[in-house]
Amino acid sequence: MNDNQISLGDEQEEIPDSFICCVCLDLLYKPIVLSCGHVSCFWCVHRSMSSLGQSQCPLCRHEYNHFPTICQMLHFLLLKKYPVAYKRRELQILEEEKRSGCFSPQLDAHGCNSQASQDLHIQNNGTAGPKQTRGGDYEGTGNVTDEEKNSLLNTDSGSADRISVADVICAACKQLSFHPVVLNCGHVYCESCIVKPDEQMLRCNVCQSSHPSGFPKVCLVLGHFLEEQFPKEYALRRAAVQLKQADSKHENPNACATKADTQRKKLSPWSDPVHIRFGCDSCGMFPILGDRYNCLDCFEKKGFDLCSHCYNTNSKLPGRFNQQHTPEHRFKLVRKDSIRNQLKLVIGDIDDISLALIIASISSEGTISPDAQENAENRSAVHAPSTSSGDEQDESLTSD
Amino acid sequence: MVDFARVQKELQECSRDVERSGIKVSPKGDGSLARLIGTIPGPTGTPYEGGTFQIDIALPDAYPFEPPKMKFTTKVWHPNISSQSGAICLDILKDQWSPALTLKTALLSVQALLSAPQPDDPQDAVVAQQYLKDYQTFVGTARYWTETFAKKSSLGIEEKVQKLVEMGFPEGQARTTLEAVGGDENLALEKLCSG
Repeated sequence: MNDNQISLGDEQEEIPDSFICCVCLDLLYKPIVLSCGHVSCFWCVHRSMSSLGQSQCPLCRHEYNHFPTICQMLHFLLLKKYPVAYKRRELQILEEEKRSGCFSPQLDAHGCNSQASQDLHIQNNGTAGPKQTRGGDYEGTGNVTDEEKNSLLNTDSGSADRISVADVICAACKQLSFHPVVLNCGHVYCESCIVKPDEQMLRCNVCQSSHPSGFPKVCLVLGHFLEEQFPKEYALRRAAVQLKQADSKHENPNACATKADTQRKKLSPWSDPVHIRFGCDSCGMFPILGDRYNCLDCFEKKGFDLCSHCYNTNSKLPGRFNQQHTPEHRFKLVRKDSIRNQLKLVIGDIDDISLALIIASISSEGTISPDAQENAENRSAVHAPSTSSGDEQDESLTSD
Repeated sequence: MVDFARVQKELQECSRDVERSGIKVSPKGDGSLARLIGTIPGPTGTPYEGGTFQIDIALPDAYPFEPPKMKFTTKVWHPNISSQSGAICLDILKDQWSPALTLKTALLSVQALLSAPQPDDPQDAVVAQQYLKDYQTFVGTARYWTETFAKKSSLGIEEKVQKLVEMGFPEGQARTTLEAVGGDENLALEKLCSG
């Protein structure tokens, strides 16, 4: 990679600083929006996460412990706006992925479109009338995408014009996202469209997956871009939202955040079983706390794991690393002890200070002996030889 | 392995801004980007003003997901920097590192550390004691060290040799010692005195 001179000035595409990833200092590729609203690349977020406990946003140190899904809206936006630079990033990342043997999810425009038209279908069934016109918008999106694909081949410049409002709509109100927030599942909503449940976690209307990290903050990068790109429409939306808010005074939006936070804090690596270096492929919890369900039939290097909550709710989401997991696959339950007990087993009874020191050193090196123990255990217990072999290195934070 | 594409970009960004920040980062001799040398100017209004401090930078394999290893190669008198080894006591170079930080921002933090010593969390206990108990002497020593180690002498090599000869050292020995320490007359003097 070092012989491959990278200049951002390539391809006459001026990439604004806001679309430069703070970690790799290059154009965002397969962007992920954390619940604090900051954006980074898929692999940059994954590698910055702590395999041992709470992770922190590289920019604001906001704590989180779920690896969010790629924000498809932002992905296709960047692909349209900077086709050449984005293509270069794709090739570069693909090469790195081939070298490491772990792949990021494939996002294709068709999948996204069908998802969108499905939503529309549901919407149309539910209510009639004003949605008709928006149906037209959707048709438009399909055309744009095809056009855009052709232009990608021709590497035509001046693509900015082809981003339409239909590309950047809120998943709830189906209008231009105003003050966009991105949930853990990668779906984009207006801040004002988020329904705040009293008791449970925030849930996405599109994919029904829960948003575990409290109330999400506005993604300013996306918001400012939309304001710049569609000044008139954005101003209209602002006026509409303000009018709506004046009509119905909202209760404190933080109420749900605190609730979710307390729910989350019930799990702690100190007292709950922790699966160092294993993440849940459905909700993204990393590392998994509590019971872990490991797929016996996924042969990818990354493996496929679910936390007990996602296993019990029969999550149908595909893997986070492009695993070819299907609902027919079989699982085995892996139980583990808390860090405190694991260390006590290995080192014997020690005082808390040296325990903390040991944990700090583990987190910096990313290795722990009980993993090796489990590795051996897996090898003997599981019938398929390939499930055990690459299994334990999989969620490693360091790039090989 | 180290993300060299990023390091390359950091170097470009740093050299673009060198006029304003005064902070330089350049590869260390062998051309590998994993070993670098950083240079920071001493902040104005401190005993380090006017000095130019060199910092040895080694990038671990997991950089930028692990902090760069930094230590002063220029001797400096500061409560949070070892007067012997140049080791720096700074949280962002340890557990508070974030991959969004860069070599330039880390060096800026080191520069800020020079203007705001934290004697309660010392790296060098002797310096910290002096800072707390006898601040005037601390300032004097820090300034003397800056003058002595962090300033490039304006004297030419002949004048330096002459100066050492006047102190009573034989000319040949003075010249070879000066060459051995890279022209620094204070280091040469130290070496000559120690034998």
